[in-house]
Parts: sequence; structure tokens; C-alpha cells
Amino acid sequence: MSATAVHAGGIAGHIHPEPQGFVRRYIFSLDHKIIGIQYLITGFVFMILAGLLAEVIRTQLLHANGGFVSPDVYDEVYSVHGSTMVWLVVIPLLTGAFGNIIMPVQIGARDVAFPWLNMISFWIFPVAGLMLFSSFLMGAPVAGWTEYPPMSLQAGPGTSMWAAAIFLVGVSSTLTGINFLVTIYQMRAPGMTFTRMPLFVWAQFATAPLLMIATTALAAALAALFIERQFGVPFYDPTKGGSPLMWQHMFWFYSHPAVYIMILPAFGMISEIIPTFARKPIFGYKMIAFSSMAIALAGFMVWAHHMFTSGLAPYLQLPFMIITFIIAIPTGVKIFSWTATLWGGKIHYTTAMLFAIGFVGLFTLGGITGIFLAAVPFDLHVHGTYFVVAHLHYVLVGGSLMGIFAGTYFYFPKMSGRLMNETLGKWNFWLFLIGFNGTFLPMHWLGMLGMPRRVPEYDPQFQFWNDFASISSFVMTFAILLFFINILWSIRNGKKSGPNPWGGRTLEWQVPSPPHYYNFKNIPTVFGLPYNFSQPLPYKGLEEELTDTPVTVGAH
Amino acid sequence: MAVASMSHGAIAEHEGADQLYVETRALRLQGFLLFLVSDCVLFSSFIFAYLYMRNSGQGWPPPGISRLDVSLGALNSVVLFGSGATMHYALENWKHNNFGRYAFFMLATILLGSAFLSGQAVEYTHLIFVEHVTWAGSGIFGASFFTLTGMHGFHVTCGVIYLTILFLQSVHGVYTKDKYFGLTAGTLYWHFVDVIWVVLFSIFYLI
Repeated sequence: MSATAVHAGGIAGHIHPEPQGFVRRYIFSLDHKIIGIQYLITGFVFMILAGLLAEVIRTQLLHANGGFVSPDVYDEVYSVHGSTMVWLVVIPLLTGAFGNIIMPVQIGARDVAFPWLNMISFWIFPVAGLMLFSSFLMGAPVAGWTEYPPMSLQAGPGTSMWAAAIFLVGVSSTLTGINFLVTIYQMRAPGMTFTRMPLFVWAQFATAPLLMIATTALAAALAALFIERQFGVPFYDPTKGGSPLMWQHMFWFYSHPAVYIMILPAFGMISEIIPTFARKPIFGYKMIAFSSMAIALAGFMVWAHHMFTSGLAPYLQLPFMIITFIIAIPTGVKIFSWTATLWGGKIHYTTAMLFAIGFVGLFTLGGITGIFLAAVPFDLHVHGTYFVVAHLHYVLVGGSLMGIFAGTYFYFPKMSGRLMNETLGKWNFWLFLIGFNGTFLPMHWLGMLGMPRRVPEYDPQFQFWNDFASISSFVMTFAILLFFINILWSIRNGKKSGPNPWGGRTLEWQVPSPPHYYNFKNIPTVFGLPYNFSQPLPYKGLEEELTDTPVTVGAH
Repeated sequence: MAVASMSHGAIAEHEGADQLYVETRALRLQGFLLFLVSDCVLFSSFIFAYLYMRNSGQGWPPPGISRLDVSLGALNSVVLFGSGATMHYALENWKHNNFGRYAFFMLATILLGSAFLSGQAVEYTHLIFVEHVTWAGSGIFGASFFTLTGMHGFHVTCGVIYLTILFLQSVHGVYTKDKYFGLTAGTLYWHFVDVIWVVLFSIFYLI
């Protein structure tokens, strides 16, 4: 290592020159920012595919007798729609994409702890996605995204493909979790103690163990399903001594923490966006940070609330119900803190902020129906109805997806150096808000009245509200189309943003947009929280960051 | 992990690399421990599944299947635990720069690991051909026993290959007295495999 090497900040001193070839720079890149953008693009492609599947579902339900696709195809469509949205869109976008692009810069690191591992986790993901979609060629899974046996055991060969694909996505998630946990724990800039970390970093720190631990449990369940389907080894088939209930336990032991994987990073982004546009210090920094950890921990103890109708002993139902209720407390703390941050702030209604405020409202609604569903007597009434569909879409679309939109509008300038179009953005937001509520709000009372989920045809008395939902869903699709048009337009024609268009105070806004290859010339020293607006920035050693000379690189 | 260690062997020729080694060692150690944690969850899930099925049926072992032979399992356990001890001494001797004894204990570990695998092969052959207990054809007993011990056997096989690579690397001077993260990782992995066997032996042979 030659004497010219940059060696500020310990580990970060280890610098290789930036690769110049196209393949090493943009395809098999080791740079966390490029990998993050790869995740973002791939995730958006799968989002379009899953969105088209959703429109097939809504078109089918325009008429009480269906008729758009056959019932068998309908089963495949909703199963692949759910699986894609969960494993190929929301989880990779929130952890792989935004986690990679933003988190290392926010902690003042030059890259993640294991760049090679990062590249490998990314490249597993599109391969697994292609495998999942190729299952359509051989009879896609038909038992919903939860794939309960015995139905998943009896379905066509596509279900094995599904299990293999989700297993691979799980490997990718696990590697990402390990990578992020070590990065956050070991590679923070000097002076950045845990209680000075930006809240998005806290959110990723709470998510990473879930990715690492819960996903492995799912891997076991999927491996057993695959083995049983391919080799006839009995795990779940009750006729051979297996137990279908065991799948539900193992699946939900993963999938309940997974819903926090799908929301905690979005919470983190909202916690960045709201103080930035309210121009106020975030209210209750420590409470928001610790509540993420509390949610992550309690998330492991509530899985059986998905199984109240599966024949669980009554003495087991009660603790699961109560612990689920308890999760509402840390979540409520966050909602309260965001509202208190907005209170009396000088609010700038940018598109990112609109999405963030929309997130708070819609997620609260989804969270409240979650409390309904956790109550055993109520759950017995609405289990397997459209009420559940309404609840999960309020938290996953109104929550996670709104968070992804907010994050994209907020961080797009940091990724590309250009702002997204605000006029299109406002159309995008309002149409999405109207379309979303029109689609999923009626599902609450459809479910209460007893319309079962996952059916291709339904009782004609539900026709009106299904039509209402379907037409609203077309509005929502149009809004998402505007979102993608906005991205494509803004990459070329957006206004130049400069390093810090929003007046943000976390570290990523103190470096150029997009940041240099190794993010920082000198690793800054941190001596305070990033959210104290109107006070000087709490960083030392950033003076040279905004000039255009690249990082001096060691010769080894 | 072995690849990373090799690249650091190459860097070691440069000035200032010691500092780098110290700093990245903590990263890699933590990453490796987290990998073991997630691997542990994989085993735990299958162990949970086994205990769940075992307790939801009528008695154990299921009708028509005799109990596993504790003596063979116990012999195998002694072999594997012994290899854990030799692995420990191998690393200690490396730290104290005693290459001869290191090589002896390392090779002993590899041999004992292979002996364990042979013992498992004997047990599998006995079960399949004498007692006609198979993976797919013997209900949840065969499913859980062969899946869990098979997974563990796969880990031991990987471990034997891994330790062999580490040994060859150390012969070729990849590691030094101060820089031997690969050996630490190998030791951790081997102890992990040992601990998993303690649990598997207890739940399959003893209870």
C-alpha cells in the first residue's frame, strides 16, 4: 500500500481503484450504490409484472361469474402475484435497494463489509425471480403465497419450482442480512455512536437480524416441501404421518417477522423524510430507534396469530393474541413521534413528503385492522375473507409501497443527480391515494359480509363493490404508470439537483450526487445527532467532499 | 472465507497491511459467526419439526420400527467430540508457533471427521438394508432421522474438505503466527458441527 493511500477511518482505508470496464462497473459491480440501483431496477421490473397479475385478478372480479380467465389460471395468478410482491418486490426494494444505496453512506462507510457477498446476493435475486415466473410454463403454484399443504403437495410441478425460487431469494436475503449487520455494527464513522445513527440505519439494523434468522427458518420449511414433493419423504402429508399444521408453524415463524422486514425499512425512510420536510428535529429519536428493535424482537413471538382457525389449543391462542396487541405499542410510538414532528413544523409539501404523510395515515388504518384480526373472536369471523386482503394491502401497499415511492422521490436526486418532476409526482400521489383507497377500502365490508378471498367467482350481491374496487385499481395502475414515466423522464430531463436539494442533514446529503466511487475522500467525524435543524452540521472533516476531484487511490 | 484469507496472504507483503488485517479480522469474524447463527436456525427449524411430529404421533418410535442402536451412536459421538478436542489443540499449537504438533492434530481432526462419516455410513447401511428403514418409506421416523443426520453429515463432509483445504493452505504458508483467521473460522465451524451433534444425538438416540 503506497503512502498516497487514503487511510482515514480505519477499515475504510482499504481502497481499490474504480474499475473502468463496463461489466465490472455496472454488471458485476462491487460498489454498494450500483448494486443498490441494480436491486431497484430489478425490483421495479418485478413490480410491473406483479401489477399486471393484480390487474388480471381485478378484471376477473369485474363480473360475479368471472370469465376473464379460468379458475385454475386465476389460482396461479393470485399465488404468483402474492409471492412476487412479497419476495421479489417489497423485501428486495426495501433492504437490497434502499439499504444498499443509502445505509453505507449514512454511516460514513466507503462500502458494505463484504462487497463480494453483496454482489452475490444481488445476482441470486433476478435468477430466482425468473425461476418463479418460469413456473407458469409448468403449472404455477395454486395455493396462494402461503402454499399451505396438502394443496401445495398436490399441485403441479411449478410448486417445486416456486419452493426452489423462494429458497434462493431467502439465501440472498440471509446474506444481505449478515452483510448489513456487520456493516452497521463495525463500520460506522468515528464518533457515530449507536444513539447518533440516522433512523434509517436503525431500521436496517433492526431488520437485518430478521432477514438472517427468520429467512433461514423459511428455508427449512421450503426445503422440506421440496423434498416431500420430489422424493415423497413425508413431512406434511397427514396420510403418511406428517403434519400440514407444521408447515403453517414454520411458514409463519418466518412470515410474521417478514412483515416487519417489509415495513421497518419503510418506517426508517419515513423517519428521514418527515423531519427533513418539516424542518424540525425528529420527535423522540430514541423512542423511534428502540421501538424498531422492540418490534423486531416481539415479531418472533406472534406467528400463531395467523393460525387461530387452524385448530390451535385455546390456551395457546390467548398469549399470541396478547403479544400481538403489545406490538401495537411500539408501532403507535412511531406514529405518535411522526405526528409530533409534523406538529408546528414548517412543512414543505414535496411529493416525497406527500407520500410520507400518506404512509402515516394509511399504515395507521392497516395497523388498526391488524389489531382487529389479532383478536381471536373477530378473527374467527373474518379469517380467509376479503377483510384480511384489505388489511394486508393497507399495510403492504399503503405502507411498504408508499414508503418505496416516498423513498424513490426522496433519494432519486442522490442516485441520479436529478430531481424527479414534481407536477407529475403530485398527479402520481393523488391518483394513487384515490385509486388505492377505492380498491381496498370496500374490501373491508366485503370481507365483513363474508366474501371469501381467493375465489374466481362470487355471490352477485357483492358485484357493485367489486366493480368499484376494480375500476379504482385501474386508476391506481395508471398512477404507478405515471411513477415509472416520471422516473424515465427525470433521468434525462430532470432539474439538476446538486448535492443537497432537500436540505437534508444526514451524511449522504453532504457528498455529491451521485456520490464518488468510495463515497468519502476523508471519513468524517460525527459529534451529534443529524436532526437538529438550524444548528451547525455535526460533522468534521467534510470540507473537501463537494469538489469534483476523485478519491486518491492507493497503488496496491 | 478461505478465498478472503488467501487474498490477505498476498496483501501481507505490503507495508501497512497488518493494521488492515486487524481491522478486517473483526469484520470477518463477526460475519462468520452470524453465518453460523443462521445455520443454527436452519437446524433448529428441522429439530423443531422433528419434535413436533414426534409428539403429535402415537408413541416413539412409531410402530414397526425399533429404537436406534445407542452404542453405535455413542461410539460415533466419542469420535466426533474427540475431533473437537484435536481441533482445539491444532489451533493452540498454531498460535504457539509449533507447526509439527499443529500438523499432527490437524490431520488427526481430519481423520476423526472421516471416521465419523464412515460410522454414519455403517449406521445408514444397517438401517436401510437390515431394518428396512428408508428416507421416504418409513413415515416421519425415516424422514426426520435421515434429513437431520443427513444435513449434519453434509456439514461434516464440508468440514472435512474445508479443513483439508486449510491444512494445505497452512503448509503453503498462507497463514502466519499473527494472521490465521482461516484457521479460527475452521475451528469455529468444526465446534459448531460438534455442538449440533450433541443435540442430534440426544434427541434421536437418548430420549
